[in-house]
Amino acid sequence: MAHAAVVADIDPVAGRAPLIEGDPSFHDITEVVSAPMEWKPPLGWYIFLGVSLCFLGLFGFSIGWLFWEGTGIWGNNIPVAWAWPIVNFVFWVGIGHAGTLISAVLFLFRQKWRTSINRTAEAMTIFAVMCALVFPGIHIGRPWLPYWMFPIPNQMDMWPQFRSPLMWDVFAVSIYGTVSLLFWYIGLVPDLATARDRATTRTRQVIYGIFALGWRGSFRQWLHYEKAYLLLAGLATPLVLSVHSVVSFDFATAQLPGWHTTIFPPYFVAGAIFSGLAMVITLMVICRVIFKLEHVINMLHFDRMARLILLTGSLVGLAYSLEFFIAWYSGTEVELFAFLNRARGPFAWAYWIMVTCNVVVPQVFWFKKARTHIPTLFIASIFINIGMWFERFVIVVTSLHRDFLPSSWDYFTPTFWDFAFFAGSFGLFFTMFTLFVRFMPMVAMAEVKSVLPQAHVHNRPE
Amino acid sequence: MEHEISVSPEEISLPESWNKLPMIAGGVGLISLIASYMMGHGSQQFSFSYLTGFMYWLTLALGGLFFVLLHYLARSGWSVVVRRQAEHVMGTLPVFVLLFIPVALGMHDLYHWTHADAVAHDPLLQHKAPYLNETFFFIRAAFFFAVWTMLSMYFRSQSAQQDKSGDPDITQRLQTRSAPGMVLFAVTIMFASFDWLMSLEPHWFSTIFGVYIFAGCVVSIFAFLILLVLQLKGSGALTHIVTWEHFHDLGKLLFGFVVFWAYIGFSQFMLIWYANIPEETFWFDMRWDDPTWRWTSIFLAAGHFVVPFFFLITQWVKRQRLTLTLAALWMLFMHYVDIYWLVMPTLHHEAFQLSVLDFTCWLGIGGLFLAVLFSLMQRSTLIPVKDPRLQESLAFENP
Amino acid sequence: MADDKVTAGDGTFGVLAEFSSPETLMHACAKVRDKGFSIWDAHTPFPIHGLDKAMGLKRSWVSAFVLVMGLSGAVLGMIMQWWVASKAYPLVISGKPFFSWPAFIPITFECGVLGGASGAVLGLLIMARLPRHHHALFNSERFKKVTDDAFFISIEAQDPQYDSAETPRFLEEIGATYVEPVAA
Repeated sequence: MAHAAVVADIDPVAGRAPLIEGDPSFHDITEVVSAPMEWKPPLGWYIFLGVSLCFLGLFGFSIGWLFWEGTGIWGNNIPVAWAWPIVNFVFWVGIGHAGTLISAVLFLFRQKWRTSINRTAEAMTIFAVMCALVFPGIHIGRPWLPYWMFPIPNQMDMWPQFRSPLMWDVFAVSIYGTVSLLFWYIGLVPDLATARDRATTRTRQVIYGIFALGWRGSFRQWLHYEKAYLLLAGLATPLVLSVHSVVSFDFATAQLPGWHTTIFPPYFVAGAIFSGLAMVITLMVICRVIFKLEHVINMLHFDRMARLILLTGSLVGLAYSLEFFIAWYSGTEVELFAFLNRARGPFAWAYWIMVTCNVVVPQVFWFKKARTHIPTLFIASIFINIGMWFERFVIVVTSLHRDFLPSSWDYFTPTFWDFAFFAGSFGLFFTMFTLFVRFMPMVAMAEVKSVLPQAHVHNRPE
Repeated sequence: MEHEISVSPEEISLPESWNKLPMIAGGVGLISLIASYMMGHGSQQFSFSYLTGFMYWLTLALGGLFFVLLHYLARSGWSVVVRRQAEHVMGTLPVFVLLFIPVALGMHDLYHWTHADAVAHDPLLQHKAPYLNETFFFIRAAFFFAVWTMLSMYFRSQSAQQDKSGDPDITQRLQTRSAPGMVLFAVTIMFASFDWLMSLEPHWFSTIFGVYIFAGCVVSIFAFLILLVLQLKGSGALTHIVTWEHFHDLGKLLFGFVVFWAYIGFSQFMLIWYANIPEETFWFDMRWDDPTWRWTSIFLAAGHFVVPFFFLITQWVKRQRLTLTLAALWMLFMHYVDIYWLVMPTLHHEAFQLSVLDFTCWLGIGGLFLAVLFSLMQRSTLIPVKDPRLQESLAFENP
Repeated sequence: MADDKVTAGDGTFGVLAEFSSPETLMHACAKVRDKGFSIWDAHTPFPIHGLDKAMGLKRSWVSAFVLVMGLSGAVLGMIMQWWVASKAYPLVISGKPFFSWPAFIPITFECGVLGGASGAVLGLLIMARLPRHHHALFNSERFKKVTDDAFFISIEAQDPQYDSAETPRFLEEIGATYVEPVAA
């Protein structure tokens, strides 16, 4: 029987190509992954870094101006007191979810295709969480008092209010950032050791050496390492569910129509993973071309991610319709009004952008041609990113702008600074990301090697 | 792994001792149902007890459907050796059309919104009438059953066909079709939960309710599969086929979905508790104000989450016959408590009150469910013998 | 790298043997195990499934760290919130009791995860004795390939069965393609 002999390597159903194309040796993987760290980067990298730095500069300047002038520079008003800063915060936290999904959840479900993309996705998570954390930090109005959110007694003998969902957020997002960082770093250790052992200059050897912790590939260490990694994945999985659930609690515990609905936690989680996967695709399409990683990150990986996008996108679509249905079914007038106002009110344009990008666009991924066609993937992923930003905009702004008191109804108009902050946060994200791909192994070498066919031992000793 | 693992015919056919089970289960089921009818027909208690039993076994069968759809959607390999049992579990779904008849006949006992005089004095029910009316209710029920019957029959027959032909294209095709299947499954289970359980309290609403029912479905199917396959192994079948590696994985998934159930249940409770809007809180008040119901609620939270969480967290529990059987039995019991807790406060809102009908209805429907299940099991091998991923499943080890 | 070679003697860490593939390494490991060596190790660029059995290793106890620290994190998280909300700074908010346990579940959970994750990392570092500044094996130039594509077995001189002449020969017998003594 031919198919039994290769059972571990090739899928018996589709007879599909293996996870990594071109039948590389272990050494080939080391070479191809280490190359971006060791070569002089291509011109494109410098241009990208330059542009990113410009936007980062804009971010820095905007924050400076905000501290100087105050939150009045934003379009936030009453009743829309939570506007773009919170939209951006939720947007970035959402992006940060796919990294942990790919690295932890898919790890637990033994989806081996994740090995080519998990490192980049994890890095993306950390940078996205960094971007996210900036916004509540600057939105509180008195940015010199952030320590009031930590559980330490201050000069007025005050303690944080743990019954407030905003406090849960502080804990959830900062712990998520910390655990993601630990998870990412533990995954990096063996690859940093590779970078150390390949170093051609003393500086590189010392720096990579320090972060590699003296790793020597000992199997007695690998045994603990694998256990620790599995457990971290096991912890990160409920964590990733909890974080966006907690973010959704910020809204759903309130009595505001459009915010208070019990489906919010799982619906936010699905949406977050959806947006994060789209961002992974956007970044991967660029990286694999610039750094010649086409064999390591191939169509199989895009196909899988597109399927997950289709799944999570459909869940999001289902949640939209359930929300609408229950808004009517509840018989609560204000609830139904809030939803009709989304679809027909002054912000209907935002609502329909959201529905088009998040529900309609992903449907192209029912077709295999679309799932393996790079331009389609790229364009669809951009649309989904836009759609998911608008989802948060719809939730935050349209729910607030017409509240229970018609006399306070108002329209929200963003200012130049709203745009500057949003664009600037992309500057921070892409600067970090550009530096990451230059100085860190952007594919998990040790893991990729372990899924190559020659890594399997077929005849094991007793 | 170089060589193919061979499967002996004795291991994959139903043990002799199981041949009488359809008769026994069917007999017990019929007698219990007849007895329940004699004791309780025409009473509200009968309808509520029957609905509890019906939803208990239906959620289990739907769990089977979910397991099979997920198996194909995720292209999983390890679960091939247990998939056939899940196929049989979902194979009982067409029978639930018949079992639904008493629910339909008892709907005036069960659903307050079916009373024209009640609707006439209740603006909320008038508002909901376009959805909550008998005609549309039955149209929807017909749609749900049509979808479930169609999906379960299609996936079962294709899998049976593969047993003969060994055609890998069948797996390919089922993988593709599992995706729209999953969409249909999600929509139907959401609205079936709204119709049959949430509308018991027609004033109450919760968007997450269907997800909560879904979480219960999945917990019950993993517990049931563990139990069923362990019993098969105990009777001498599947000895070398389903190993502790497979049980370990099933145990992990059971554990995972116990946590998922708690996550969904807590989200629903906490959001309603926090916002404290009377239109929503009364549903939880019905399960909290009276001390007997309060203890039931506490028992549900502790028994469906806290106890199994700490019990199943260690590895050895999932790899021992006794402990795993205990865990599975316990979860199946707690699933009943869960359904009971959802249904019964509408009838006995003043205090928790057990009835013998609760037991006989559960046993009656369960007997018929098991009779169908066991007779389906007789008609095919215990594993999909020519599944292209069978070898992968046989050789499976937990990393 | 002939210059780096040292002769076996008192200043010897042990012997390092290279194998050509995961498969030959695993079979060699089983033989080293069966021979009764105790202070030895295998070195690989990536974890190899099944090598723990071939080496006769017991399962890792990192999970104990995670369980203990995870539970402590959760308990401490809950105690902190109870104490702050009902003892140190009681404040009536939206008519809820001081000890509003449903509101404290999210932070309790997060603290538990933080404890567990720290436990995993701490457990790894303690059990794997990391970080460390230097290791004798790094004296071997050839050993640098262990993070690329080479598979090694090292047997330390401290092992009671170690013999500076016999052990390298034994490693060659079981399929090593290259054997070298390593200075301490």
